[in-house]
Amino acid sequence: MSLLTVEHLTIRFGGLVAVDDVGFSAEDGRITAIIGPNGAGKTTVFNCLTGFYKPDVGRMTMRRDGREYLLERMDGFRIAREAGLARTFQNIRLFPRMTALENLLVAQHNELHRASFHSLAGLLGLARYRSAEKMAVERAAAWLDRVGLTHAADDEAGSLPYGDQRRLEIARAMCAGPRVLCLDEPAAGLNPKESADLAALIRDIKAREKIAVLLIEHDMSVVMEISDHIVVLDHGAKIAEGTPDHVRADPAVIAAYLGTAEDAA
Amino acid sequence: MPFAQALREAGMAAFVAAMLAVPLVGFRLADTSTGLRIDTRFDWVAFGVGGVFLGRLLLGLLRGRGPGSGLRLDLPKLPSNAGTLFGAGLAIFAIVMPFTPMADRYVVELAITVLIYVMLGWGLNIVVGLAGLLDLGYVAFYAVGAYSYALFAIHFGWSFWICLPIAGALAALFGVLLGFPVLRLRGDYLAIVTLGFGEMIRIVLLNWKEFSGGSAGLTSIPRPSFFGIQFTNNPDPGVIPFHEYFGLDFSPMQRITFLYYLIFALALATNFFTLRLRKLPIGRAWEALREDEIACRALGINPTNVKLSAFALGAMFGGFAGAFFATRQGFISPESFTFIESAVILAIVVLGGMGSQLGVVIAAGFLILVPELLREFSQYRMILFGLAMVLIMLWRPQGLVAHRDPSIRLGAAR
Repeated sequence: MSLLTVEHLTIRFGGLVAVDDVGFSAEDGRITAIIGPNGAGKTTVFNCLTGFYKPDVGRMTMRRDGREYLLERMDGFRIAREAGLARTFQNIRLFPRMTALENLLVAQHNELHRASFHSLAGLLGLARYRSAEKMAVERAAAWLDRVGLTHAADDEAGSLPYGDQRRLEIARAMCAGPRVLCLDEPAAGLNPKESADLAALIRDIKAREKIAVLLIEHDMSVVMEISDHIVVLDHGAKIAEGTPDHVRADPAVIAAYLGTAEDAA
Repeated sequence: MPFAQALREAGMAAFVAAMLAVPLVGFRLADTSTGLRIDTRFDWVAFGVGGVFLGRLLLGLLRGRGPGSGLRLDLPKLPSNAGTLFGAGLAIFAIVMPFTPMADRYVVELAITVLIYVMLGWGLNIVVGLAGLLDLGYVAFYAVGAYSYALFAIHFGWSFWICLPIAGALAALFGVLLGFPVLRLRGDYLAIVTLGFGEMIRIVLLNWKEFSGGSAGLTSIPRPSFFGIQFTNNPDPGVIPFHEYFGLDFSPMQRITFLYYLIFALALATNFFTLRLRKLPIGRAWEALREDEIACRALGINPTNVKLSAFALGAMFGGFAGAFFATRQGFISPESFTFIESAVILAIVVLGGMGSQLGVVIAAGFLILVPELLREFSQYRMILFGLAMVLIMLWRPQGLVAHRDPSIRLGAAR
């Protein structure tokens, strides 16, 4: 059984079918990319997975630690906390007036809050909370190091350069301790060098953390290079699925991206 | 800014001023023995319009930094611990103040009022400054605290120290009660609902005569005692009052000084509690919620709990301040808990710089002291007060203390 299985996912906004009977799965230690032209419904799929939208039809099942979580029945914050899906956003959503380090600590809120015994142990300054905080800071520092932002740890997140903000958002999602990391266009707005670094980072996360990565991306050089499996959406429906080489050669995918040759016929 | 453009802007401003001044200042209804008569005061209009023209011209020429740059008061770069030092200095001053020669009854009473507002500002700072939930009905919790203290003290005869936690707990409960229906709201919508909530509490207190005494309020609320020793000149037989206990002469200042230190201690406790919470996960979650609620949810933070805890804790401190207010006044009525009080407390938080503890102190001092100092200007004082506020907001749009200290630093934490 897969870690995450999506079946018959369908959402309608009024008369528009934004996502139409889409199914795919995500596995530990694999990068699954969702691609498609603008308006194909990729981000809508993410918003369903992470609980921001409720699908009209379909089932999203997360299996971890011998338990099954039906995501369509859970509140958004429970999906992140219990089922273990963390995401980044197409338009970066950091906490801009908090420092980079604080951003990463907020991501570990639930663990820390429990350790602080709902603030009581924290207020009293008990060792139990102090050691938990120390561990959280170590973890945050390790991630800052991995995304190359140790020098900016105490800078306001909103004042960081754009590329740094993108990487910080990924580090923040990872600090939440996810089993599935959902990245919504992480390479948008990055220059080629930054894109290459980002691809390396995502591959590194896959290799070392052994988690599943779901990726929405327009930058095909990134997608083709790092993806293990690609799902292609167009007008809300899945038109192709498979390995990068398979998808690249699929006529339906080429038609969706480049248009059909019917005018010439 | 080029002279011609400044001249044009000054002309525009003068025109607008003239349009407003002619009907508002130019004509005056005079009540004479023969009936009503209209006087004209066009000389006043001319002076006013001239003043606006020159002022605007000066402003335009002085600014000269192009559009949008505005007036900014760029404070010199201060060392990072300047705020702490200044705060400590203020605290030491507050401790010795009652023993300085300037401390007459009027000054200490005024200082008590300022400290009440400092405490209210710090309480509201949790809700507005940290959690970013715009609350226009904060005075409701102040009222709940005051009435809880008054009712428990009058009907059960419980002492201040027993009633204080009860008042705080009841206010916190009301904070949660208000919090639940407004969980989904943000910004303007939240402000409207909290405003309504504040008015509801006041109107219930006004109309539920059997419970709260209605508009007549509650009188003869027990005065606080010095841990059981009363401040009084004519004690009940067998009771030793404060001045006899300590072998002093009786003076009303003893009670007032005690009240002063009481509210000082309460306010300080509020401050330390808030500063501590800010460095805990809950405090960071409040600030994260203020910054981006959607990102909070995506990280597994339950926004409901975060919001309710902010409402409850903010309300609790409002309740403490209310209990103190009741025991200090000895009399409370719904008139003390009108919307204008909420507005003043919110103004303290915003003017001070959202989330800044020191800013609240400075702003509370300003907003309470300035109207008091301007008393001799009688009817013009609110105009001067408004002018001062506008100027501050022009110079410091982020509030007086806009600086935010990180709750943790990487170097210090390792």
